[in-house]
Amino acid sequence: MIKIDNLCKSFGRDEVLKDIHLTIDKGQVLGIIGPSGSGKSTLLRCINNLEFPTSGTIRINGKLAYRDESGKGFSETEISATRSKVGMVFQHFNLFPHMTVLQNVYAGPKHVLGLSEKEFHDEAIAILESVGLAEKRDQFPEQLSGGQQQRVGIARALAMKPDVMLFDEVTSALDPELVGEVLGVLRKLSEAGMTMLIVTHEMGFVRQVADRVIFMDAGRIVEENNPAEFFDNPQNERTKSFLASVLSHTD
Amino acid sequence: MEFFNLIHPEIALGALPTILRGLLITLLVTLLCGIFSLTLGVLVAFGRKSKSRVLRLSLGAYVQVFRSTPFLLQLVYIYFVLPFFGIEIPPLPAGILALTLHYTAYLCEVYRGAIEAVPKGQTDAAKALGMRNRVVMVRVILPQAIRTIIPALCNYMVSLLKDTSLLSVVTVQEMMFRGQIYAAETYDYFTIYTMVFLLYFAVGFPGVKLVDYLEKRMKKGYASRSVVTTSEETLTARGEKR
Repeated sequence: MIKIDNLCKSFGRDEVLKDIHLTIDKGQVLGIIGPSGSGKSTLLRCINNLEFPTSGTIRINGKLAYRDESGKGFSETEISATRSKVGMVFQHFNLFPHMTVLQNVYAGPKHVLGLSEKEFHDEAIAILESVGLAEKRDQFPEQLSGGQQQRVGIARALAMKPDVMLFDEVTSALDPELVGEVLGVLRKLSEAGMTMLIVTHEMGFVRQVADRVIFMDAGRIVEENNPAEFFDNPQNERTKSFLASVLSHTD
Repeated sequence: MEFFNLIHPEIALGALPTILRGLLITLLVTLLCGIFSLTLGVLVAFGRKSKSRVLRLSLGAYVQVFRSTPFLLQLVYIYFVLPFFGIEIPPLPAGILALTLHYTAYLCEVYRGAIEAVPKGQTDAAKALGMRNRVVMVRVILPQAIRTIIPALCNYMVSLLKDTSLLSVVTVQEMMFRGQIYAAETYDYFTIYTMVFLLYFAVGFPGVKLVDYLEKRMKKGYASRSVVTTSEETLTARGEKR
């Protein structure tokens, strides 16, 4: 589904990603954890080209995405087409504040695929129902709680029927009591077979839902394993100390 | 009252036709320069983001020069100095040119500032859905930027209206100029300038009130314009947030 080779990204002199190799299979849920500044978010942003890698290749569905092997970028049309199949949900929701909940869900189908609101109406409602927000359809984002806004964020991304979903710390900006409702939606998605990359600090959730976990530190993937092994029997010293410090104050 | 003894109705009445004709010119100049600078401002704002370095730099230089020097100087430069280069422009077109150049420089900054003030996350989200750059601008960025732009534009339009009075310096027959002439002829500065004062206020004040109203309205959330929302729903949603 996604194959990343030799991916490097620098901001000026700052090397944020160093030679990343990663393969995600269809239907797989990958948990990405690590300290802040380790490059987790940048990795996700590279996968839908919100950041342009310094070098390396990304393949989506077997095809080179965004740039060829020599590093030459593809056309805007090709890049947009690939992005439309890679859904992304953001830490700060980034809902369109001038659109209602329903219009946010319409945004992709309408302004990318050219569907009319009428054509997409039933589907939009169904998607909103799946995140439990159909009755909020005519409200504006500012009228919703953080948890509700984030569920709209997920619905908006799902409207494009993506092949893969990227979740960038989607519960980090939420009040603790609202985290559960968003994680519930993620869990449902994973059960439905969605391919997902989840950057998060919710260790318990990763353990339950992820098929695989990678631990990133200073721009590298330092450990990769299935959740049970990863959490119970970490190998790398950095992983051990990170897990020890994180789990000590969540338990 | 002293004040009312100083006002001479017969002189005011005599001055009225010429002053009102002046007001008409004032309003026409405002309208023309308003339309020109509002549209040129858009072009300059986008031009400053152009791929061409020459265009970017020259437009940048133009904006900085016109923002950094007094309008009055720009006006007299165009009218009195350009003739040395063989460019002679009659008073009215010179005034309109000067005002347009001056206000375009400011308005393009309004557009640029408002577009840049829309959070970067909005562009990210729109691009992540697969929107092309032009669509991102039209569907996501501009509808949000417009809320900053509209009150600021109205503010500049009121300012433009007042600045047309400076065209009197190059003998444009607008209201200020006609007031000056009539006052000098009759020596009744009090009556004439009070009249001109009141007329500027009469057209300027509604503009100022409009700016206040727009600013207040644009500060309100997007939801306040929606008819679907009942206030009760809004309250529960807000309550949940807290």
